[in-house]
Amino acid sequence: MLTKGPARKVTVFVNETAQYHRQSLHDAILAFLMHKGVAGATATRAFAGFGSHQQLHTPQIEELSVDLPIRIEFIDTAEKVDEILPTLYEMVNDGLIEVQDTQVVKLARKSPRPEPQLAHERQQGPAKLMRVFLGESDRWHDEPLYDAIVKRLRMMEIAGATVYRGILGYGAKGHERKRSFFHPMRDLPIMISVIDTSEKIAAAAEAIEGMLQDGLIVLSGVDMVRLVRSHGVTEAPDAAGTTR
Amino acid sequence: MRQEQPARLLRIHISESDRFGGKPLYEAIVAKCRELKIAGATVFRGLEGYGESAEMHRSHVARHDQPIVITILDSAERLAQLVPVVEQMMYTGLLAMSDVRAIRVQETSLQG
Repeated sequence: MLTKGPARKVTVFVNETAQYHRQSLHDAILAFLMHKGVAGATATRAFAGFGSHQQLHTPQIEELSVDLPIRIEFIDTAEKVDEILPTLYEMVNDGLIEVQDTQVVKLARKSPRPEPQLAHERQQGPAKLMRVFLGESDRWHDEPLYDAIVKRLRMMEIAGATVYRGILGYGAKGHERKRSFFHPMRDLPIMISVIDTSEKIAAAAEAIEGMLQDGLIVLSGVDMVRLVRSHGVTEAPDAAGTTR
Repeated sequence: MRQEQPARLLRIHISESDRFGGKPLYEAIVAKCRELKIAGATVFRGLEGYGESAEMHRSHVARHDQPIVITILDSAERLAQLVPVVEQMMYTGLLAMSDVRAIRVQETSLQG
């Protein structure tokens, strides 16, 4: 299963007319990759190019326009790629195979229809609660700082974060943060609360420290019970009716 | 009058769109707390946030889907009774508990 982090990218260059057991080679490769359960593969037809035969394939020359280069690319784990490469090596009788180490930054899949209601899974254990105090008008480049922090936390795969706006307060800047008729500027106190394991919170605190201009980070220990949706278990009773 | 004692604070993180028995889940949880005579519960609505589904929860034009946090304070034993009940009502979410010192200030005249 492909996850975020280090992975391998394989690129195969073949000719459009190359054959493999009386079918086109690129079709055969794609079918093989799908059969092997590769996370995803893309075949693109090049505009022009040349290969080891030193013959230019270009759409300008009518008779060669059906023989353009095809590039097939897929990304998967190192183990999966090792499993697939020997067969791929056999199949590509005229072309080139290239393997690169790569880094998967995001792997998102939108489910085509709402997921059925499933029983939840329970995770329990000690955890850390982090509260970050800042001002509503604090900015990070071109966006509100609290938005930027929440985005950063999501990228770090922190379990969850909630942003609160206080009614009144004062902090590092020393001025009272209050909204009134005479002070229409909005610089109300903002608090972001984040709960996760102590290692992940330590990493998150370090990342946020670099973003805060003046603010406060408070850490405390909590006992956490986390209910996450479980996959492929019996349907939950109607009572637990949540819609997400 | 003033009472100081060790207590436990429970925070329940859910979404505003979560429902239980035809009403918002946060209302159902607070009603359950009253039924079990828990000392106190407060519901906060967050500006924005995300959780288990990794979807952003913020206010939409037609749909309120902001994060909700319910803060509940009582003794460790009472909360231990409450947690399994609340867990049954929830589908996804997070419960976090921490030890606190509670100082309770009450009007003396109300003390029967």
